[in-house]
Amino acid sequence: MRRFVILALLYLGVQLMLPLGEQGHGSEALVTFGFLILAAYTVGELTVRLGLPKIVGYLFAGMAFGPSALSAVSTTAIGRLAPVSELAIALIAFLAGAELRWSDLRASGSKLVRMLGCELLLSLLGIAGLLVALQRWIPFLADVPGAKFAAFVVLFSSIAIAHSPSVTVALLSETGARGTVAKSTLGIVLLSDVAVVLLFTFSQTLARTIAPPAGAVALPSPGLVVWEIAGALLVGGAIGLIVALYLRFVHRELMLFTMLVTLFGASLAQATHVEILLTLMTAGFVAENVSHSERSEAMRSALERSAAPVFVVFFALAGAQIAIREVISTLPIVLPIAIVRALGIWAGIGIGARWTRAEVVERRYVWMGLVSQAGVAIGLVTLVSSLYPEAGASMRTLLLSLIAVNQIAGPVLFRRALVRSGEIDNRTGPNAISHSAPAVALDAARS
Amino acid sequence: MAGPFVLILIVAGAYLAAHWAFEWLGTRYMLVSGAEYLVLGILLGPQVSGVLQVSALDAFAPLMILAIGWIGASVGSEFYIPRVVRGYGAAYRVAFAEATLAVVATGAFLTGALAWIYQLPLADTVAPAVALGAIATVSSPAGVAMLRGKLGRRVPAVRQIEVTTAIDAFVAIVAFSLLLCIEHGAPATGPRAPTPTEWAVISVTIGVVGGSLFHLFVGNEREIDRLFISIAGAVILVSGAAAYLRVSPLLPTMLVGAMLANTRRNRSEIRQALRRVERPFYFVLLIFAGAAWDPGTIAWWIVPALVFVLVRVVAKLGAARLAALLNGLTESLGPRWGRALLGQGGLAIAIALNYQLFHGTMLLADVVFTAAIVSVVLTDLSSARFVQSVVERYTQPAVDAPTPNGPSSALEAEPK
Repeated sequence: MRRFVILALLYLGVQLMLPLGEQGHGSEALVTFGFLILAAYTVGELTVRLGLPKIVGYLFAGMAFGPSALSAVSTTAIGRLAPVSELAIALIAFLAGAELRWSDLRASGSKLVRMLGCELLLSLLGIAGLLVALQRWIPFLADVPGAKFAAFVVLFSSIAIAHSPSVTVALLSETGARGTVAKSTLGIVLLSDVAVVLLFTFSQTLARTIAPPAGAVALPSPGLVVWEIAGALLVGGAIGLIVALYLRFVHRELMLFTMLVTLFGASLAQATHVEILLTLMTAGFVAENVSHSERSEAMRSALERSAAPVFVVFFALAGAQIAIREVISTLPIVLPIAIVRALGIWAGIGIGARWTRAEVVERRYVWMGLVSQAGVAIGLVTLVSSLYPEAGASMRTLLLSLIAVNQIAGPVLFRRALVRSGEIDNRTGPNAISHSAPAVALDAARS
Repeated sequence: MAGPFVLILIVAGAYLAAHWAFEWLGTRYMLVSGAEYLVLGILLGPQVSGVLQVSALDAFAPLMILAIGWIGASVGSEFYIPRVVRGYGAAYRVAFAEATLAVVATGAFLTGALAWIYQLPLADTVAPAVALGAIATVSSPAGVAMLRGKLGRRVPAVRQIEVTTAIDAFVAIVAFSLLLCIEHGAPATGPRAPTPTEWAVISVTIGVVGGSLFHLFVGNEREIDRLFISIAGAVILVSGAAAYLRVSPLLPTMLVGAMLANTRRNRSEIRQALRRVERPFYFVLLIFAGAAWDPGTIAWWIVPALVFVLVRVVAKLGAARLAALLNGLTESLGPRWGRALLGQGGLAIAIALNYQLFHGTMLLADVVFTAAIVSVVLTDLSSARFVQSVVERYTQPAVDAPTPNGPSSALEAEPK
């Protein structure tokens, strides 16, 4: 309560100050940045007491102080803070890769691929079926000819099935969970990132073939798509090796070094036209698995420390970008889609887990970790709206509303899954389920 | 997209090279690391290689403001009142006298010198001269910190130098912040522009109100990661608010740092949280300050810069000697103890960069910035050697023993 009063006073103070000053040197963005950190932190602490993940609090803080509600954070300031979001995504991807161990992947890779396959297929079919059923109530599908209709359904569905590595990594970082459910969820989410990119590329090609967009937009060549994925593995692998060498021979200033590496990796991926997330994930994975375990633990610890305030702002900014009115107005359509998507994930994971004879906790709880959506899906939505400007705008609104709903519901469900599976206790951190001694030490230190 | 990639690659590579090289040199030859990043920034900036372009520097302006604010908060967190109260009063009197004399002497002399060099009326050179006076007052704490590590204990002179560098920082920040309030380019909004006094009150109010609110906000949190988020939010918000109002972020953040360090029991954790990113911010500040350097259109820019360095050396040595004499401590401190205060560090660059950012279009702003950079490049590396030349005499056992009422015993006192 005390912090909320202080936050209210700070808000009033900022409002009083505004007429006295002027923009320049990004000072307004700094004020916004600082206020957002404090607001998100405060609301995040409250949500923990309510048994919800902190990131839900960060999202709510962003929504409350964003342009849709109190407008303490302006749209311009959100734009100026875009580099923070980019840094956060790069950090998240690197951290996500560093969470995976080769031994685990070798042991359970096949299982995760099969579970993912089932889950994606059922979600895709479920959402596509629902879109067909609700055609007349969906603005971008009503009254469109057959070919276009099919193209839009495929495009929408291939985006709607995307998961969120950022939410998964942030929640694992927050709770310190390292058990079976946590690892399987993370593995599936990371694999799904590659799968969704491939699927979306295929859907986009199909859509462009059967319903060519207005204006001559060149189709991406198959070679380019292959390079986007394979190049990411190559570039990421090279960065990971450099990090491993640094950890082995230098091992100093890890916080600054890891920040530089993630920025460097993101820029290098852009320069070489490869998939950014996959590049950094691979870099993190290679660095983690090539390095000595103690040193890689230190690197991960440094990364998590530097990432903490960045996560706060990243999710608060994500919340600020949620257009509350649009979400509310589209809820009658979005909610059934969200429910069908969740059912598809649940059924797909259930079937996949039985097929692979996965553990009971995986069958019961992993699906709950896959409901979240965020960055990847938003990126793909932007691509579609630039490809089909008219229908894309309506599709974008609907997809962003769906993402907003899943962004809020997803972390709550994932945390619940971790609690129910016994990997964290109901109040705070991990429940000592971990596979390596350094991880236990790290978790204990964190909690 | 190749631009940012090359930029990050070069900055990262250069940073690491400079870091290793100077760690090696520092260990062997007692060189304090810092100025090399400034030189690195100059080499990367538009004046030399052009890797960091002006547009890129503009984009990084919020980061520079934040780095300035963070340095202010770090300086403020060093002022722990119970230690000041328990300390020996004469040490603080000496420090205040030295700092005040240095800022006044340098400011007064340079007002005349700049007017003569550039053939300007005295009224036009007061502001840049006072800014240079504030910069001249700053003494690097890095040299004494390195030596304290080498000696392994606190000798009286070392403690006096520590107190003096802290007070120098305080006086420099206050003088510079007041200057920006007086020279404030007020926005054309509202019925009338605030007066300089009102800007000074606003500047202090941001710090005091911010400090009070964040004192309550931080609470008794002792977990460093959570504390770091609160403190980062506080420093960012206060720095941004100060910059938005075009007053120096240094004074408000110094007040916030001091209030948090003094009003909470988790003082050491707060210090720890501030220190976590102090070094990265310091390096960022130095690199960008170097890159932002522009000698301007005036030829022979090196002349006023060297005049400044010379005036500063004379003013610091003279002020230190006079301050010790006025307080009857010449014998215990030695006549040349001011040499230990000659090194300049990050705060000097923060002040110069702050002046350049807010008053870059003002008369002689380039001269102020250039003089600060030249002074730091020339003195920062040797700051540990300067300190060593002063404390050598104290390493003798007979002299080293603290006297009951002298500065040593009182300055050694640490609050429980």
